[in-house]
Amino acid sequence: MMRDTRIRRLPMALSALVALALAVLPVPQVLETFRPDFLVLVVFYWSIESPRAGGLTLAFMAGLALDVIQGVVLGQHALALTLMAAWATHLRLRLRVFSVLSQCLTIFALLTGYQFVLFWVDGATGNPVTTFGRWLAPVIGALLWPLLIAALSRLHER
Amino acid sequence: MVAFRSTDTSGRTTGLLLRCVLYSLLALGLIIVDKRYDHLGKIRRVLSIVAYPVQIAVASPFEGWDWFRENVSSRAALRADKTKLEAELRLAQFRLQRYEALEAESQRLRSLRDNTAGVADRFVVGDIMDVDLDAFRERVLVDKGAQDGVFVGQAVLDAGGVFGQVARVGQLTAEVILVSDATHAIPVQINRNGLRTIAVGTGDMGRLKLPYLPTSADVVAGDLLVTSGLGGGFPAGYPVGTVAEVKRDPAQSLADVDVKPAAALDRSRELMFVWLKPQPAASIAPSGPVQPAAPKPGAAAPSPSGTQPPRAPAAPAAPTAAQPRAPAASAAPAKVPPPAGGNDE
Repeated sequence: MMRDTRIRRLPMALSALVALALAVLPVPQVLETFRPDFLVLVVFYWSIESPRAGGLTLAFMAGLALDVIQGVVLGQHALALTLMAAWATHLRLRLRVFSVLSQCLTIFALLTGYQFVLFWVDGATGNPVTTFGRWLAPVIGALLWPLLIAALSRLHER
Repeated sequence: MVAFRSTDTSGRTTGLLLRCVLYSLLALGLIIVDKRYDHLGKIRRVLSIVAYPVQIAVASPFEGWDWFRENVSSRAALRADKTKLEAELRLAQFRLQRYEALEAESQRLRSLRDNTAGVADRFVVGDIMDVDLDAFRERVLVDKGAQDGVFVGQAVLDAGGVFGQVARVGQLTAEVILVSDATHAIPVQINRNGLRTIAVGTGDMGRLKLPYLPTSADVVAGDLLVTSGLGGGFPAGYPVGTVAEVKRDPAQSLADVDVKPAAALDRSRELMFVWLKPQPAASIAPSGPVQPAAPKPGAAAPSPSGTQPPRAPAAPAAPTAAQPRAPAASAAPAKVPPPAGGNDE
């Protein structure tokens, strides 16, 4: 078991870094609204796949990185990501036997919850973002989920 | 295929709830401390250094491509560029000829009025990094930071006009909030008649709003807006935008004015950070004592209106307004001429 967790840390860190880069990759203004939360999806994957290899710590750290990079209130993404990763970990045994469609729906719920926490912290700290664009990310993220699993499990296999 | 390969199927995750609560409390604590107190600036600055490699890694392919394109551009293209730049330079120098004289005149008038509208003192040029920040906030990351003396609230210009101001400073980078951000407002005045108001961002890069002008205000499409320098954050007299459309609904008390920003908010690559020349007094204090005295000396009062004639057709209201109106109102026309001259000549 000890060896197992040690082996898993590298792909975990690697995929998180790539997702972080994707989160700040410049894209045309039009596509900006359609950018899914890559890092959040990756964190969900690892908290479902191997929660013992540091699921929540990864979630917290990734959230903090997002906060710093996006320049929002420190702790905002960290809070949202921690809560939703914990939820994902809680659901993980059920999630594994779900069909693809049900998995996508569950991920959609998790992503919406994530956006809701962000929305709430935005409002509480006095600079609310009220455009509907932000509720688009969960839809796109959920649609991307099967692809992401396929890619990450391949990485995991190595 | 879509499947989890994990063998880690034991149902228990020890202390999941405990850790979740712990991390959440930590995050909440961070949010509160960051919001209420300003102690986290240093931590953020250190963390931003850690984030720097990621940002560099993302930006470098684009910069590499730019570099490559620049290096393989043909001789003909370079020559065409050179001719164009030379023509532009000639034009700019031609315009600059009167600048020294105007600057001196503006200084003289300012000292007459003991005016404190900030004057730009020093510029530093920074490059926008090819990094996208939050999709719903109009911000950019620039490669100058605390180590170059950049500070929060500093005015940022581009070649066209006012670009924004510094929202956050890291050690090596700074975050600039654009004038078009929905949470940004900037004190401006209409160059034609000195009417002062506030331009507010809309969240749309191509549009600002003037939400505080009454329906009867003298504003028409095509009016140039310049910074008024009030509030002390921005230097006075730099173009902010031109009025694109004025909608007057007689049922409303406020006009609906759209402004097109002067800066190329979505195209600029280089930005200028501006340091204001230190000024002795606060901006509000002097205009009070000076005003009651203005009618008496005679020398001080005519001189502001005396600079008005060049734009006489629009001016008739100004001399009359200078005397009977409130002090705040008459302070405006006096401030107009220097920026007006600087921009129009």
